[in-house]
Amino acid sequence: MELLTAIAVGALFSIAIFQLLRRNVIRSAIGLILLSSAINLFLLSTGAYRGVTAAYTDGVGQKSDALPQALILTAIVISMGGIALVLSMLYIVSARYRTSDLDEVTGLRH
Amino acid sequence: MNNHLVLLPVIIPLTGAAVALLLGGHGLLDGQARDGGRIQAGWALGAMLTSLASSLWLLIQVSRSSQPAVFQPGGWPAPFGISLVGDLLSATLVVMSQAVLVAGILYALGSKDQVVRYPTFYPLFLTLATGLTGAMLTGDLFNLFVFAELLVFSGTILTAISDDKYGTEAAFKYFYMSLLASAFLLLAVGSLYISYGTLNMAHLAQRISANPDVPLLPVAIAMLLATFMVKSAVFPFHFWQPDFHTASPTAVSAMLSSVVVKLGVYGFLRMTSLLFVEQAPAIQALLITLGIVGVVYGGLGAIGTHNAKRMLAYSTLAQVGFILVAIGWGDRLALAAAIIFTFNHSLIKAALLMLAGAVASRAPVKTAAFGVVTGLGKSMPTTGALFLVGGLALVGIPPTNGFISKMVLFRSGIEAGQYTSLAAVGVASILTLVYVTRAFQRIWWQPPVEGSKAKPQGDSLLAPALLIAAVLSLGLWAAPLVELAQATATWLGSPAGYIQAVLGG
Repeated sequence: MELLTAIAVGALFSIAIFQLLRRNVIRSAIGLILLSSAINLFLLSTGAYRGVTAAYTDGVGQKSDALPQALILTAIVISMGGIALVLSMLYIVSARYRTSDLDEVTGLRH
Repeated sequence: MNNHLVLLPVIIPLTGAAVALLLGGHGLLDGQARDGGRIQAGWALGAMLTSLASSLWLLIQVSRSSQPAVFQPGGWPAPFGISLVGDLLSATLVVMSQAVLVAGILYALGSKDQVVRYPTFYPLFLTLATGLTGAMLTGDLFNLFVFAELLVFSGTILTAISDDKYGTEAAFKYFYMSLLASAFLLLAVGSLYISYGTLNMAHLAQRISANPDVPLLPVAIAMLLATFMVKSAVFPFHFWQPDFHTASPTAVSAMLSSVVVKLGVYGFLRMTSLLFVEQAPAIQALLITLGIVGVVYGGLGAIGTHNAKRMLAYSTLAQVGFILVAIGWGDRLALAAAIIFTFNHSLIKAALLMLAGAVASRAPVKTAAFGVVTGLGKSMPTTGALFLVGGLALVGIPPTNGFISKMVLFRSGIEAGQYTSLAAVGVASILTLVYVTRAFQRIWWQPPVEGSKAKPQGDSLLAPALLIAAVLSLGLWAAPLVELAQATATWLGSPAGYIQAVLGG
């Protein structure tokens, strides 16, 4: 399971970074979404393998750590807001330049 | 032990933002800019002033009691809950930020921009203040991420709604970089949590110094460094900064380029003096190199631009470079120099950007491009006088506070025996003189462009005048700030006090 998670995190990171570097605005937004998922999975793995029963229950054995889940919950909410903001700004920018290619967004080149 | 005073500078702007949103009126529903928001603006100014008063009170209390003020929200003891910690460094930087933020709201009140009539402008300004203050006062690494995100979101939206037609593009560029920075920060959080099982900074510092040979530690340090480098626009991560600070509304860009970039400086100070004390020499060597590159690159960039606001944005790259070099030298006097420089630069840069914005507001086309504003200064002598004093302060000529910061900086370099980096920084600081004089000449001395005439009305000069008054008084009466900075540097030299105050016992 640990190996599987590690491979999943690595694959998500590589796909996300590859997509982030693309010129197409939609692909780069997808890259951001994948990147936040990769990080959430990474954060989950920091506490996933330490306990055998759920925290705050009467089960026997090592209790699992609930903090990474709380961290991910916060990070998910923030990244959702961030991606909504990115998409809205992408919409404005691509409508203004009538393109989906970031290389054609040239207003800031002085 | 539970000192509620630490909470006030964070909670007052946040509550103020929520109430200001309610005062926004009908404009919120149809999203139209309208001039019905005087109550909202007055409320925002009042909230920010109250918050500044509370942070001043915090600073006075912390420096009198000579131990950090700690607040544990919800009554959870330190490593389990989130702590808010006001030590001398946080309190000083919070007072600095909130003083400049008050000036920013004052500028917005007298501004002719469309954007300040937008119903969410003042609420966003107050959440920007909350994010900045909270990130400096928090004692928890994940909480720092949350506050930094609040800061980034507010700054992005404030720029995206700017009058400048490239505002949205610049905001998009910045937000993209900031999302990457938060990705770096979360990776650092994860690496530290899996290695040390805690996110409380004091607890982390204790555990890291007890067990520094963890394979993920260098990764976490690199990720944290990258995060704060993006926040402060340090050399390899700087390219978004001039665009972003030029395109945002003047009242906001004066905040971004002066106090918001100082979040990274705060982060570097915390990293080298609290979290990674043993690994600090390597970090400091890196900071010296990056600082020198920043000073040279920012200076040359500022000389090469054709826009007064953009020039000042590049100048911020250079000035942050000076601060990084001082942090890199790392002894007590150099740290004091870094803090004095940080404080003074915030006041100077905010004032200069506001003055450049005031000139732009009276230009025929609203821009600070030299091609348009050349010669316009003839009809605004007061702005010229203020700009001259601010420019002298940026260069470091007495009787301004810029002279005090440069003097302490160079003296600390001599005492630390760092002659190579000192020489590089000294030579590069001549560049400041070049670009400041050039801007002054273009706007106030040269004849105006054919047919170009200044508008009779522009942005109010009250806020920059207050800041310039502070610049002059801190130059003539520098002792309190210098003593405060030296006391702060002494505190930074002994992180045990911080750790003990947070963890108790």
